[in-house]
Amino acid sequence: MPNPPPGLSQRQFDNALARLEEIIGRDWVFRTDEDVALYRDAYSPLWGEAEERYASAAVAPVTVEEVQDIVRVANEFRLPLYPISTGRNLTYGGSAPVHSGSVVLDLKRMNRILDVDERDKTCLVEPGVSYFDMYRYLRQNNIRLWIDTADPGWGGLIGNALDRGGGYTGIDYRDHFDAHCGMEIVLPTGELVRTGMGANEKATTWQLFKYGMGPWIDGIFSQSNFGVVTKMGFWLMEEPEAAKQVSITVPRREDVHAFVDILHSLMSDHTIPSQTSVASPVMNGSADPELVRLRTSGGASDAVWNRYADSVDRPFWSSTFVLYGAQKVIDAQWEHVRDRLGAIPGVVFRETASYAFPLSDEEAEAVPDKARYGIPSLNLFGSRNAPGQQPSEGHLDFSPMIRPRGEELIGLYDLTGRIYGELGLTPSAAIGMMFHARAMICFHAVPTFRNAEDNRRSRALFERLVTECAENGWNIYRIHAHFQELGMSIYDFNDHALHRLHETLKDAIDPRGVISAGRYDIWPRHLREGSA
Amino acid sequence: MRPSIALAALIASVPASAQDETPPIAAWSRTAAVSETAGTLSERGAAVFNNWCDACHRNAEQNAPGTRSLELKYRGELPAPLEDRTDLTPALIELYVRNGVATMPFYRKTEISDEDLAALSAYLADD
Repeated sequence: MPNPPPGLSQRQFDNALARLEEIIGRDWVFRTDEDVALYRDAYSPLWGEAEERYASAAVAPVTVEEVQDIVRVANEFRLPLYPISTGRNLTYGGSAPVHSGSVVLDLKRMNRILDVDERDKTCLVEPGVSYFDMYRYLRQNNIRLWIDTADPGWGGLIGNALDRGGGYTGIDYRDHFDAHCGMEIVLPTGELVRTGMGANEKATTWQLFKYGMGPWIDGIFSQSNFGVVTKMGFWLMEEPEAAKQVSITVPRREDVHAFVDILHSLMSDHTIPSQTSVASPVMNGSADPELVRLRTSGGASDAVWNRYADSVDRPFWSSTFVLYGAQKVIDAQWEHVRDRLGAIPGVVFRETASYAFPLSDEEAEAVPDKARYGIPSLNLFGSRNAPGQQPSEGHLDFSPMIRPRGEELIGLYDLTGRIYGELGLTPSAAIGMMFHARAMICFHAVPTFRNAEDNRRSRALFERLVTECAENGWNIYRIHAHFQELGMSIYDFNDHALHRLHETLKDAIDPRGVISAGRYDIWPRHLREGSA
Repeated sequence: MRPSIALAALIASVPASAQDETPPIAAWSRTAAVSETAGTLSERGAAVFNNWCDACHRNAEQNAPGTRSLELKYRGELPAPLEDRTDLTPALIELYVRNGVATMPFYRKTEISDEDLAALSAYLADD
């Protein structure tokens, strides 16, 4: 049996679990070592080490009333709970609690799609609904709406939105928290609230108008621990008539400035509707020793880089995006894109895919770049790319936010390359991605392993990347549970006033400190004081 | 190879929660559903495979990262698609589902219940 949570005796823990069994039945209270081990973080950067976070038990309710009753028992016993939705937030901590010894509140069984309104283009779901679930439901019922899926299709609409994940389709949909409309939350006291128009039971616009009346409070339930979200509404994208995926390259390193500026402009005026990526086929190349030397030097000139690009015969920058809409609109958009970017000498335009919707099941299955069309997959989860290759085991997402400017993209490539070099590591590929309307995420993957030695190296790398990028103004927007204290520490204006505000809210909303202690470094008072 | 009727049965049989008046309109991943469905154990296992394994392990040239990875691992010594394997035992299937391997994570019992796992084993091991 796992140890009881910190602060509870074995007897208190047993009594609390007995009460939870009365609420949801013995089958849904997991407390054997074997069952609780399934709540480990499969990609933990601390796998098998003393600091790895473990659950003490897990409970899996199926109704909102059960969640309320569980939370009330948790208050009574001061039992720390850690809610998860589908539990697949891998690379950010998965289903393991931040505060070791917490009881995982596994909401996977709450997997009902409560409403899909084709005319309003909205849905209302429970936390256990995955992108696969919603996609299959829409196709089975011939509903011509798209979800915007995260890369892993096993992720949940609610969990991903609450951690502020992103996808690939239209700007109104791919910022998943921004695409939500209305929430239902079990507060840490057990009280049930609905936000926005949902605070009036007769309102017909819960999933249509976000604000309702009074302070708009939804934001505090993302990347936080102020309640258990049991329902969320989302806006869905109307299936377009057609789509065209394109790839555009420019040849020289210094072209990045005009390239990113024009792409940003085309996104701002809504010519380009989709997530738009900018990457370097040259700097993201193979493990060629000369490439590694240039990247880890952290500051080779444009002239040096351009000579290298010539030697490997690759264009320096590439961008991929999708135009959605009526075919004649797409044709006009594509013409305008070519007019604007045609100002860059040597630019090459390629149409890589065209689709007319709806797709048959076979056609949808054959789409290679699925997420750009609202089709969930697990295509990024391959373990090997070559015969005999040692399989990969996991990774951490390191994704600092930068301005969409060529100088910042180059600056980030240079800085991260230097850090890898100083640690004796081969630099990771990096991709600038415009998930959001104005800022660019620069995605890197830092590998994790099932052995401590390699993980120690990855943690040291990750911490340096976070810290030194922040010193240049490039902050991460989301971070693995183990590093959330580090992640929040860089948001330090006025001696960490924002963090103090978070904990002021925590004390007011969760006075017994029972929900997700430590998530995004928000600790309840008794653990703050105890750990000081 | 994968009877679609089993998946339809899995969906149709999901009961509404007794404590909530709103009936579910979809519950593809409802746990313990296998024990509530008709059909043979192997047919139920096909539904479990479709729901949880197919996105990685389908028998396809593309969009099947698990199949691709096993193809690179076995290099023709064993079939890469799991549904084509004849050497899978229930113990081996349980080992991978409950422990994971490489980038494949382990599955919780709220995702693949013990009943679902038994059905999956019947489906894959009986082929």
